[in-house]
Amino acid sequence: MNGIRVGKRIIGADSPVTIGWENIPRVEGGPAKQFIFTWFQPAMLLALLAFWYYAPNSIAKASTAIGIGIGFKVLLLGLEWVNPRYRSWQLTWKELTTDLFYVGLGYTILRIVDSYIGSDVMAKGIQHAFHWDKFTWFVGLPLLVQAFLISFLFDFGQYWMHRGMHNWYPLWLTHAPHHYITQLNINKGAVGNPVELFLIGLGVGGFFDFLPRAFLLAGSFGMAVSTYQHINVRFNTPAWWRFIFNTTEHHSLHHSRDYEASRSNYSGTWIFIDRIFGTCVDGEAELLGMEGGRRMSIVEQMHYPFTEAWKTLKAKFGRGRFDTPESAVPAE
Amino acid sequence: MTGMTAQPIWHETVIPEGPRVNMRYIDWIWHVRGSVPLPEGQTAGEALDRIEPVFDEVGTAHVRSDAALSFTKKNPASQDPLSVFERGVLRVEGTAPEGRLRYHLVSRALLACFLAPLLFLGFAQLTILVNAYQKPAAEAAAKKPDAKKADAPPMHPIDKALGAPEPEKPGKNGAEGGKRNRKPTPTPAYVFAGIFAALYVGGRILEDRLVKRLFRKRLLQA
Repeated sequence: MNGIRVGKRIIGADSPVTIGWENIPRVEGGPAKQFIFTWFQPAMLLALLAFWYYAPNSIAKASTAIGIGIGFKVLLLGLEWVNPRYRSWQLTWKELTTDLFYVGLGYTILRIVDSYIGSDVMAKGIQHAFHWDKFTWFVGLPLLVQAFLISFLFDFGQYWMHRGMHNWYPLWLTHAPHHYITQLNINKGAVGNPVELFLIGLGVGGFFDFLPRAFLLAGSFGMAVSTYQHINVRFNTPAWWRFIFNTTEHHSLHHSRDYEASRSNYSGTWIFIDRIFGTCVDGEAELLGMEGGRRMSIVEQMHYPFTEAWKTLKAKFGRGRFDTPESAVPAE
Repeated sequence: MTGMTAQPIWHETVIPEGPRVNMRYIDWIWHVRGSVPLPEGQTAGEALDRIEPVFDEVGTAHVRSDAALSFTKKNPASQDPLSVFERGVLRVEGTAPEGRLRYHLVSRALLACFLAPLLFLGFAQLTILVNAYQKPAAEAAAKKPDAKKADAPPMHPIDKALGAPEPEKPGKNGAEGGKRNRKPTPTPAYVFAGIFAALYVGGRILEDRLVKRLFRKRLLQA
């Protein structure tokens, strides 16, 4: 396989990928289906922003956001059924059940842990230590500007954390299990080792004081853009959207079995951050995963960072153990 | 065959005999048993010839005799039609026209899903315990007056012009306002316990039907 030159890199030398928007397949079907799957994403973002902008204070609260988030994901599951991007990514009972197990961990045990050592506690601590509460001028900005800045700052932090995970072995060990997913479905974002979910949640955005409404508006970007990272739906996404926002296409390349392709598209929401730092590749991939597409079990996902770290340490420092194979290749 | 060694499980543990017979009352939870009729005139060898390609999947090993086939799977691919099952045995019994393909499949995934509600009920209890332990500290923190947050935050003229609702005084909506002060509740754990109970019932029925349909389809294939 020769691969395709993108900037200074050769993408697709290890595994097939599609590069360039002109080569991406389009939605098949009548004009109504074409219309829906072209404008669905912008319409949902606009609707969510309008809702949170004008919702009365009595309903503009976190519990409403959680309810809308769950409803939105159920709707997207329906879209996966109606218009899948790839048949080879179709949801099965086992995939759905496995994905929901990770989602369940996020809503229960990880929430307890997060309330003790997670980003909430760190945000409070750092605010206190650096007197960041002096940034209260921030709440005087227009709501949408606040919302953009919250979302951008959080994503900027995530971009560097994610890029760090792909370039520094100890962080990579926590992120590697997530790269063993072999297909994209809307709950796949939750699949991974819990240590990673804790790390990826840390972003500089959490250290400021915000109006609750601005925070909910910022959440609209997460819900109506980031959710599409892991989704098996074919959209005719408008070109301007693909230029600004992360998409399934971008993220499928990031999960590709091709090593170079997997080292691109690190941001969660604002793909222009990748464009600024030269890590954006426009295209998509169908064959995903690691080790030729080996599906990792839940048990292995849970212990992988620790057992791999142990194996590596033993190989490096153990006596007469230098022949232990290292299966986790850093920064892939 | 993919290089793994499959043990002929009909000689071993899949169908327990003797003192373990009582397991039959509960092992339907993760064991799927069934049969499909052979098409008229089909021999045991022909039937297994048609079924055998189903086991040409990554991570699957199988062994075959004249009238039986057993398989094991390790980390099966997501789209493997039998990915739910780790091992199983298929055997052709009788001859045409009464011949049947009987199968007995074992699924740890179904067992794990059956037990998952217990895990989430455990998480709910843990949340209750943690909240009870945290209660005195939370009450003490709530009593502290927060003079800094007495005034309502300002509103930008653009937002006023566009008609966005006036912001409330911080603290009025308390923990609902942002995520920082949220307190874990046991409700999500109860919800997920319910979801996994429903998933188990759905999966047990669905996978049973899917596997029967798969074998029937393969046997009828020209």
